[in-house]
Amino acid sequence: MKKETSIKVKNVSKKYVLGSKKDGSLRGTFSNLFKKSNKIDKQEFMALDDVSFEIKEGTALGIIGANGAGKSTLLKVLSRITEPSNGRIEITGRVASLLEVGTGFHPELTGRENIFLNGTILGMSRKEVKSKFDEIVEFSGVGKFIDSPVKHYSSGMYVRLAFAVAAHLEPEILIIDEVLAVGDAEFQRKCLGKMKDVSQNKGRTVIFVSHDMGAIKQLCSEAILLENGKIAKHGTVQECIGHYTTTFNSISESKGKTHIGNGSILINSVKLLDEENNETTFSTAGGTLKFLVDYACITKVESVIFKIEIFNALTNSIVFVCNNFHSSKPFSSLKKSGKVMCEIPNLPLNSGQFYINIQCLNNFEIAYETNNYMNFEVFKGDFFGTGNLPNPSKGLLVNHNWQEIESDE
Amino acid sequence: MNKNKLIIEPSKKKLSLNLKELLKYKDLFLLLSYRDYKVRYAQTFMGFSWAFIQPFITLLIFTLVFGKAAKVDTGSVPYPLFAICGMSAWSFFSYVLTNSGSSIIGAQQMLKKIYFPRLIIPFSKAIVGFVDFGITLVFIILLCLYYGFIPSSNLIFLPVFIIMTIISSLAAGIWMSALTVRFRDFQHVIPFMVQIGLYLTPIGYPSELIVKNMSDWMSAIYFLNPMAGVVEGFRWSILGGAPPNDMMYISFMVIIIIFISGLFYFKKVEKVMADII
Repeated sequence: MKKETSIKVKNVSKKYVLGSKKDGSLRGTFSNLFKKSNKIDKQEFMALDDVSFEIKEGTALGIIGANGAGKSTLLKVLSRITEPSNGRIEITGRVASLLEVGTGFHPELTGRENIFLNGTILGMSRKEVKSKFDEIVEFSGVGKFIDSPVKHYSSGMYVRLAFAVAAHLEPEILIIDEVLAVGDAEFQRKCLGKMKDVSQNKGRTVIFVSHDMGAIKQLCSEAILLENGKIAKHGTVQECIGHYTTTFNSISESKGKTHIGNGSILINSVKLLDEENNETTFSTAGGTLKFLVDYACITKVESVIFKIEIFNALTNSIVFVCNNFHSSKPFSSLKKSGKVMCEIPNLPLNSGQFYINIQCLNNFEIAYETNNYMNFEVFKGDFFGTGNLPNPSKGLLVNHNWQEIESDE
Repeated sequence: MNKNKLIIEPSKKKLSLNLKELLKYKDLFLLLSYRDYKVRYAQTFMGFSWAFIQPFITLLIFTLVFGKAAKVDTGSVPYPLFAICGMSAWSFFSYVLTNSGSSIIGAQQMLKKIYFPRLIIPFSKAIVGFVDFGITLVFIILLCLYYGFIPSSNLIFLPVFIIMTIISSLAAGIWMSALTVRFRDFQHVIPFMVQIGLYLTPIGYPSELIVKNMSDWMSAIYFLNPMAGVVEGFRWSILGGAPPNDMMYISFMVIIIIFISGLFYFKKVEKVMADII
């Protein structure tokens, strides 16, 4: 089947006027009427600046970018909440946007009433909600509380009910803002699974905004990186995340280039490589991470030890150390200049930001040492191979197993 | 599957009302009305009886002040019956005006997160007002029975005036809801308007008092109040008597003008609603 274009965005811009011109008071408007020129204190801000892209039916598109890059504005324009200032968008198919879980929920209404209300707000007809009602209740797990006002629900139940409604939307195009940021890890996994199902098995088009690179990697087939309202990159998820983290790390890379040591060995560069030996700036939990060290021996060397210390950037605490002294043995005869590589399979780091200190010892004397050599980022990943992504900031990931012990009684 | 194509563009010049779209959202419209109705008396001790208590007490006060103390001349019609006919249309109007006015601000959370024709919000408030409207109509019937008053044959015109009441309420409601989004000042203006309107509308007294005692141009100004003509006609269609003053048509003109201009103004504000709210 030939895939049709599902969304076509052409030169779309969104301009906001900052400053006091439209401050929403009668007095301001009147006094502006009598001013000769009201263009003096007008400051413009381009939330979206000439954005163009096209996506085919069945594509799951991830949108990433720093805060204020225009991600939410783009979603708002796509879902018709606000009008673009310029440009044109063509959308083929029914759109449902999910910028918030539980839009329109009223605490005084019962779960049943809220399902109908929220369902119609999200664009379903009452008949559709009715036909899916039992499924929705089932998915939410609210059970017998369905006829109590939702103000008596626990916040977990509330969110589950709200998401259950959203999960049963069946539009051709689904626009999702970071709704996964709510709920516990188990619930997030359920949501992600549901969304994956929608895009991959049902051939729906999904546009997904998130700061969670792990989720983007899992769900999306292509991505757009926004920077200051412009598209900085449109390509595979890998490329965009790489591009994003590079821009983001470039600030810290300039520092830490001063080194100490006796100078018998110099380290020209340390690069981070992914599984396919491409240079990268990030990895995922459970993935493979490689450090490629480019060195040059200035004097004669005997036994050389490379040491890479991995630090948590948030807490500035050391996480683990890789050196060839403990894990294998010192390099006894190195070429005059060359490269050595340290490979960490099944990366035990949880999502977060990290930096490394690099040290090189010649004959147990420090030849070269640089602190805070470079930053890298780790995203959530399937470390245990179970499909359950571990929570961030819960320490290191360690392989282990559990079993039930037979007792005699 | 039949796929509809949606074009999103800045709508700079063309100003279409796109009322057809409203029909597509009728489920949402009805559910929002249901929500407002359901929530209105939630967790109150008296519950739905408030809907009866309020008009009853208002009617009592009117009867005491205008009927007994000020002795307003209402001809052969018993004063309470006279007053309730005026109150009926007016209370619907003031309910819609008050609630529509703040409706968009109250729904801002929803507005920023989802698209739907925004007109649904002020309109859905009017539906809730119908409940009160219906209750005052019950009062009218009860009072007719009590006084043994037989409604005039003008009754066939009642639907016209009910429709005029609705249009004029919606007209004021959409203007106020859009204006409140642009200028929050109107949050304070609306209660004031309702208060003044109660005196500037022939509710407790017949408009003949105005026409008789004031100059023509003063009366004309009086009938610029859209509800002046509607209330007068509403009462005439139930109680009969002399047909309302021709000045009533001034009110009707005003209603049509503010209703149509209101729709267009609302559409204009709708485009930027999510940005400025």
